[in-house]
Amino acid sequence: MISIRNVSLTYPNGVRALDNVTLEIAKGDFLFLVGSSGTGKSSLLRLLYHDAIPSHGEIVVDGIRVDKLRGARVASLRRHLGVIFQDFKLLNDKTVWENVAFAMHVTGAHTREIERQVPRTLDLVGLAHKSRMFPSELSGGEQQRTAIARAIVNNPKLLLCDEPTGNLDPENTTEIMDLLLRINTKGTTVVVATHNQSVVDRMRKRVVRLEDGRIFTDEERGFYYLGLGQGQVLSG
Amino acid sequence: MKSGVFIILDWGKVKFFLGEVGRNFTRNAGMQATAIGTVAVTVVLLGLFLFVRLTLAGVGDRLLKQIEISVYFHTNATPAQENHLRAVLRADQRVASFTFVPKAEGLKQLRRQTQGSIDVSMLTQNPLPDKFRVRVSDPSQVSAVAEELRAEPGVANVIYGKTIVGRLLQLGVVLRRVSIALIVALLFVAAIIISNTIRLTVFARRREIAIMQLVGATATYVRMPFVCEGLLHGLLGSLVALVILGIGKAALWAKLALALPWLELNATHVAMLPIALQLLLVGIAIGGLSSWFSIGRYLRT
Ligand SMILES: Nc1ncnc2c1ncn2[C@@H]1O[C@H](COP(=O)(O)OP(=O)(O)OP(=O)(O)O)[C@@H](O)[C@H]1O
Ligand SMILES: [Mg+2]
Repeated sequence: MISIRNVSLTYPNGVRALDNVTLEIAKGDFLFLVGSSGTGKSSLLRLLYHDAIPSHGEIVVDGIRVDKLRGARVASLRRHLGVIFQDFKLLNDKTVWENVAFAMHVTGAHTREIERQVPRTLDLVGLAHKSRMFPSELSGGEQQRTAIARAIVNNPKLLLCDEPTGNLDPENTTEIMDLLLRINTKGTTVVVATHNQSVVDRMRKRVVRLEDGRIFTDEERGFYYLGLGQGQVLSG
Repeated sequence: MKSGVFIILDWGKVKFFLGEVGRNFTRNAGMQATAIGTVAVTVVLLGLFLFVRLTLAGVGDRLLKQIEISVYFHTNATPAQENHLRAVLRADQRVASFTFVPKAEGLKQLRRQTQGSIDVSMLTQNPLPDKFRVRVSDPSQVSAVAEELRAEPGVANVIYGKTIVGRLLQLGVVLRRVSIALIVALLFVAAIIISNTIRLTVFARRREIAIMQLVGATATYVRMPFVCEGLLHGLLGSLVALVILGIGKAALWAKLALALPWLELNATHVAMLPIALQLLLVGIAIGGLSSWFSIGRYLRT
């Protein structure tokens, strides 16, 4: 699904965010991206939806050389994957319904299809009853569920999440992670960058740890800290 | 797959698009008013300017049209020579009209013109030669025609307002150049002001624009509502300007014609409808283009 080969990313200000990263992610995988602050998790995700371009190496997502895309093809790529963020990035002057519908509008979908697909998706994230509300009238969890609805309304093969639970309490965190798991079981590849140790340790999925822009560890059914149970490394 | 017909008939899309434009348009009244006002001021200035230019050009044209060439014969010129010139003038495409003034007629005219100041009746003999008065349809041809006539047999002298023709023609050229330069400068300044105004509204919505692109909106898709908004500024601004110009004309035209009779305002027929349409188009174009360019820098791909 995703193939990152020898990728380096140096920002214009000279910061080297990623250093020769190679990573394969299989179709239908669920992967956690962990690592201390500033080690390049967000940068890695940004490369995948062409919000940044690697200074070196190549990136293939679903058979497409993402690093080579320009203009309208970038837009096209983004319609085929979903992205969610810690700060939700909702359009504040649009209702929940309109925010989700917008992602379909840009694909040129027919109104009848939008009217069929949006309620279905809002149902899936449990927001059908709040579809007429504006983001400012929602709780953080509800806003994130709106963002998730928007991200999956076009049935993407890939869902990228950058600290999706960073602004949420434990209860909402659990709900959101359950939702992501449900989406994953339907066949969507999910990549989650997170600092949330308990989430990672509870879900036991593939864990890739970045340090200083390099891949430090890569474990199937891993923990937040390499090979160790919850909390055991905190002293070291 | 949906057929193209369905996509064309998708009213939901039209409604959505109009909703976007409407929402943007009603969001920041002050900013909208600034943009519309700038277009209006520009178009009013442009209108005034076009009016002055057309009027001056009209005055110049009329002066030039009045210029005539006087072709004097030698006093001993033969009727055959005079008839030959008549034939030449008739054949010449550039000549609009000509009249033959025999010396007797010339003397009568001189008497009438000099009434009392010079006692022409004292003359025992007519000193005037026969002459042709020639008018040329294209003022720029006056000199050429005059010089050709000078070479005809029996012609003693050809007189026309050489310097005034030259100056008027030159004035016309200068007027045209200056006005093109001024119009370009005016449009340029207006475009800058409007772009800056719109840039502020775009800046206020840069987060929104970024999100739209993140979700997969193409640059064109993001741009379109803004450009429509700009076109709307242009349309409204130039309509306001046309109303102002219309009122101004109704109120001032008669007074102006009276105060500056030499302009012969009423003689210069300026077709108002084409000018109004031109101004409208220019206004709409400034509005649209300014938006197009001011959003450019916030579109990343
Ligand atoms: N747009 C940018 N321009 C310049 N440098 C940047 C930019 N974005 C990030 N960086 C730098 O790149 C490095 C990696 O940043 P990145 O955001 O990928 O880290 P992260 O792992 O997501 O951190 P966090 O866990 O705090 O979100 C950091 O040193 C950061 O300062
Ligand atoms: Mg980050």
